[in-house]
Formats: sequence, C-alpha cells, structure tokens
Amino acid sequence: MSDPVVMLQGVTKRYAGHTAVQGLSLNVAQGAVYGLLGPNGAGKTTTMRMIMNIIAPDEGTVRVLGEPSSSRKLSPQVGYLPEERGLYPKMKVLDVLVFLAETKGIARRAARQRAAEWLDRLGLADWGLKKVNDLSKGMQQKVQFISTVLHGPALLILDEPFAGLDPVNSQVIKDTVLDLARKGATVLFSTHIMEHAEKLCDSICIIARGEKVVDGALAEVKRKHGGRQHIIVAVERGSESLDRVWADRSLVGKAGNYGQYAEVELADGADPQKLLTAVLAAGARISKFEVAEATLNQIFIDLVGPEAAHPTAQEGPAHA
Amino acid sequence: MHRLWVVIRREFITKVNNKWFVIATVLGPLLMGVAIFLPAYLLTKSAGVRTVAVVDASSGGVGRQIADALDAAPMINSRYVQADLAAMKDLADSLAAEVGRKAVNGFLLITDETFTDGRAEYRGSNVSSQTDMAMLQRYVEQAVLTERLQRVGVNPRLVSEARIPVALKTINIRGGKTTDQSGQAAFILAYVMWFVLYVALIVYGQLVAGAVVEEKSSRIIEVLVSSLRPFQLLAGKVIGVGAVGLFQLVLWAVMAKVLIDKQAFFLHLFGIQLPGGQAFGLPSVPLATVAILLLYFVLGFFLYASMFAAIGAMSSSEADVRQAQQPVVMLIVIPALLAFGALNDPEGSIALILTLVPFSSPIAMPIRWSVSAVPGGQLALSVGLLLVTMLAVTWVAARIYRVGILMYGKRPGLRELVRWIGTR
Repeated sequence: MSDPVVMLQGVTKRYAGHTAVQGLSLNVAQGAVYGLLGPNGAGKTTTMRMIMNIIAPDEGTVRVLGEPSSSRKLSPQVGYLPEERGLYPKMKVLDVLVFLAETKGIARRAARQRAAEWLDRLGLADWGLKKVNDLSKGMQQKVQFISTVLHGPALLILDEPFAGLDPVNSQVIKDTVLDLARKGATVLFSTHIMEHAEKLCDSICIIARGEKVVDGALAEVKRKHGGRQHIIVAVERGSESLDRVWADRSLVGKAGNYGQYAEVELADGADPQKLLTAVLAAGARISKFEVAEATLNQIFIDLVGPEAAHPTAQEGPAHA
Repeated sequence: MHRLWVVIRREFITKVNNKWFVIATVLGPLLMGVAIFLPAYLLTKSAGVRTVAVVDASSGGVGRQIADALDAAPMINSRYVQADLAAMKDLADSLAAEVGRKAVNGFLLITDETFTDGRAEYRGSNVSSQTDMAMLQRYVEQAVLTERLQRVGVNPRLVSEARIPVALKTINIRGGKTTDQSGQAAFILAYVMWFVLYVALIVYGQLVAGAVVEEKSSRIIEVLVSSLRPFQLLAGKVIGVGAVGLFQLVLWAVMAKVLIDKQAFFLHLFGIQLPGGQAFGLPSVPLATVAILLLYFVLGFFLYASMFAAIGAMSSSEADVRQAQQPVVMLIVIPALLAFGALNDPEGSIALILTLVPFSSPIAMPIRWSVSAVPGGQLALSVGLLLVTMLAVTWVAARIYRVGILMYGKRPGLRELVRWIGTR
C-alpha cells in the first residue's frame, strides 16, 4: 500500500490552561473512510484544524498527502468542511460556490458548471440564484457540503458533517460521501454519534480528553473490544418491571437501560434464551429482542466511560 | 496571484453590486447638486424685488437721493415718503403694519442726522439677511456721500465717475511662478481635496474593517484560510475595497463635472435663474496635483486600511468593530483637522511637519502641494517616510490579522496583541 494520506505523529496542542490534544498519532490510509470519534471536547476539531494547518501543533508532525501540511499548494486536493459552518449570507448560492472553487484553483467556467451539477444532485437546482440568507439552515449546510467537494478533492476532511441535518438530508450526505469514497477519495470525518461511524467507516480512532483511546480497522476494534454477546431489547411497555432482571448477575453482566430500549451484555455462560424467558416472565411487552455483536456505541462507552459519552448528565461518581 | 485576483474581484463585485452602493453613489452627487444649486435657488426666490420705503424727515435732499439710488439699484424698489419729525412716529407705526402685511420689506428713517452724523435707521422683516443689509448700507452711504459732495459744489457727473468699485483679483504664486489659478480657486481645490481624502480614508477604511469582521462573524473564514494564505486574504480585502473607493470617487468626479458643465441646463430644468448670470466654475487641476493626490490617497489608504483590517480581525462582531476602531479613526481625524489649519500658512513649519509625519502626510501633503510649491527633497522624504511606515504597519497588521481571524470572544489586550505579532 502507498503512504498514508494523513499522518500524525506525537501531535500535541496546548491552550492556556488545558491540553486540547496530547501526543496523538494516527494514520489514514489511501481510500479509507476514517472516523475520528470522541465525546464533545475530546479534541476532534483541534485535530482537524491542525491537519488543515489552520492552527499549528506545539509538538509533533502532521503530514498530508506526503507533504508537510503547512504548504497551501495542497489545498486544491483537499476539501474541508469545518465544524463552524459559514457562507457569505448576502451572496447568491451559485456565486459563493464558484468563488470558493476559484480559491481552489478551478477555472470560473468549469466551477459554474460543476456547481450547477452539484446543486441539481442535492436537490437545490432551483436555489442557485437565491441569496444564501434565503435558504434554510439544512439547505445552507448542503451548499457548504457542495463547496467542500466541488473541486474534486482527493481528501475530504469533514468535521461533524451530519450535525444539524434531518434524517433525510443526513442520508443524502452519507450516500454522497460513500459514493465519493468508492470513486477513490479518502475521507476523514469526525462525529460523536456512533451510529454514523458504524455505518460509514472502515477505520476509526477514538479519542477522549485529547488522547487516543483506540484506533484501527472497525472490524478489528469490534473484535478486540466487543467482548461478550450483546442483546438489544426494545420494550413496548412495562420497562420498569425489568430493573430486577437487569440486576440479575447470573444472567446480565452489564446493562445499558434507556427506558424503552436496553443494550445488555450477557454474564459469562449465560444463555440468551434464558434472558428472554426472564424478560417475558417479568411481564414486559417486547417489540424486539436481538442477539447482536457489540455496537460501536457500547464499545465507545466501555472505553471512554459513560460520563464522557454523556458529559452533561451528571458530575457524580461514575457507575459502571 | 490568480487567487488574490479572485478575492479582489469578489470583494469589488459584491460591494458595487449592492443597493447601498448604488444609493450612496447616486445620493452623493445629489447632495452635492443641492449644495450648489440650493443657494442659487434660494437667492432667486428670496431675492425677489425688495420694496423699501424711504421716510424722509430731513431738510436737505438726502432722502430723495437715497430713494433715487435705491430705485436705480437692481432688485430694489423704493417708495419715497415725505414726513416731518413730529409725524415720524405715527408713520413708522403704520409702515410697520404694512411690513406685517408684506406690502413693503422695510423702511428707512432719514433725518438731518443722516447727513450730518451719518445716522440712519432701517426697520424691516429682512434685517437678518447679511446681503440685503450690506447692499442697503452701501447705497445709503453712496447717496450721503454724493449729497455731501454736491453741497460743496462738486459736479454730480464727477461724483458718479468717482464711484467705480474696485474688484480685487487674486492670483496664486507657486515656486516663484505665477499660475493661472485665482486665490479662491486654489483654496476651493485644496478644500475639496482635503474633504475627499478625509472622508474617503475614514469611510473606505471602515468598510475594510467591516469586510474582515463579516467573514469572521459569518464563520466562512475557516474555509477561506484553508485554501488561501492569510496575506492573500488581507491584501484582497484592502485592494478590493480600495478599488471600490476609487471607482466611487471617479464616478462622483464625472458626475460633478457633468453637473457643473451643464449647470445652465439643470438650472433651467428646475426653473432657476442664476443671479447675475454668475456660473459656478470648476477650478482647473494641474496634472501633477492629480498625480500627487492619487499617490497619497493610495499610500494613505493602504496605511489606514491595514490598520482597520487588523481591527476587524481582532473583533468578533460589527458592534465590536465600531468600538475598537475609534483610535484609528482619531488617527485620521486629528491630523486631518491640523492639516486643514495648516492651509493658512502652507510654507510654515507646522505645515512642513504635518507633510512629513506619515499619519498626517496623506492628507496634508496633497493640499499643501495644491496651494504652494513644495521642494522636491521634502516631497521625496515625505513619500519615503510614508512608504516605509505603510509597509511596517501592513506587516504588523498582517501578523495580527493572521492570528485574529480565527479567534473569537473577548478582544485581545495590548499584551496579547504583542504576543500575536510574535507568533511564528
């Protein structure tokens, strides 16, 4: 295989008072769809900004497409969707897209044509001559996504690309990203929503508090850290009667109880059938009972800790 | 280079293709036109024919003289009223009522004292008009003078011949050479240049700060810096806005020229007649003066615009900018006011200092140049100092800009700014 498209080695970034990223190393292989995962405030955005050379690391090296990322000559090959979205609010959609493509070195005429094609593709064909301000937030986000991919970059760096999108548009963007990846683009994106990562990524890196927790191919991570069998139970009603079942240590090793939905890790040697019997005996009405491999979400919580996954929940001692 | 051009073009097009630009560009000359034509209009309107009653209680012919002189004067009619001192008070009251009815504009009270001591009294509704009163005073004076001379036996024809007014024509001398510029034209030119430079530096400078903070507050800046070098962005902003400014100034200059050249047509359009057929002329501007004006405008604009850009970069919102730019605005206002004062003594040492100091020279030098001869050495030194300062300020501004555009929240203090400038 060729050299990694993005390579970080021992990268550290400190801000006054705290360390945003600590000794982070990672490699994004050519053609990968790579998820940078972590709870809010883990250092994802800082890492992406260092890859884009918007901020400089205090220590370590960043290489992009084999070059030190400080050279702007790479910029035509990279598409960057920052976490803070923004376009010129008073410009026409088409003009903004053409301008941003021109800053990447695309000729005006070609940029205009491609912008029109992309607007059409994402269902915004009628909006090209409207002002950015007149678009809904979701539409603006799609326009911003177009500006990221318009110049046909070999590397896409997407910071929280699905934040703020409704499920339909979220799916449109997911499909587009996967299509670009199939055509050979390397994609590095960040998210704190594991369902997105699970569906899109072939490789991941989980970071928390600025440090790497685990990285590698998704299947590998799952195999190593997936642990015991997982059961997903969806409850139609009577979920309160199940607390006793979840507390039964002969059946259940660990339970994530979300009310209408529970993710259960079986105890050693326990039989899923016995759990099903116990759940039914407790009097709950079940709409789904699935024996599954560990979800990325579960692995994430196991590795990072529940307090990191729900940083706003409570500050008290963590309960496993 | 092409990318810099892309940034400049976007800046120029979005600024020019904007309803506020169109409004300001059209409204500018409109106000200019109003400023030129309104006085003329008001003059013809209010300067309709005045009727002045001359109440003559004198024993000699002074009252009659004055009435005749007023009748002979353009735009004034007189009504001669013979009276004696005793009846004068009643007469004055009834005339005051007539002024109230606007039958007459006012009345002169002439007694023997007018002839002997030069005392007369005027009561009227137009006493606040400087021109009316000056005119009245002149005619009364002349009439009294004529009457006095005639009494001592001077031929009336000689008297009228002796009354030729003197018109003082002023010609500007520059560097020992007599120009074809009149003193008034030189002053008007200097004043117009002062005004244009002063306003342009402040208005377009603030436009730069606004353009920079706009990219910050709309958060597009992060995308931009990922494809462009900060200096390209900064230079694009400054040059783009500068081009907008020059474009607007040229448009205005053209409009002003058309307006003034064709003023007879426009005045006719609005049914206004110029008093005395007096045309408002454009002072002729020597080519060298235009060149100096442009050179100092460009250098001065870069000097201030880069400061404004740094201000924009360290602010997070429009409101923030308005507050933070005050010191830079003062840095234009104060030298500009000083430079205006130096017009009175363009060869003095204050004028010399102001034309050398880089923060006042962009305004002071062009106006000093336009009214007096500036030695070549001083000009070279002034341009050199301004150029070096401009480059240094731009360098510092670019360093602040580079760090500032990605910083949000509280504006940095002086210590933090110094740290920004030092960041590699």
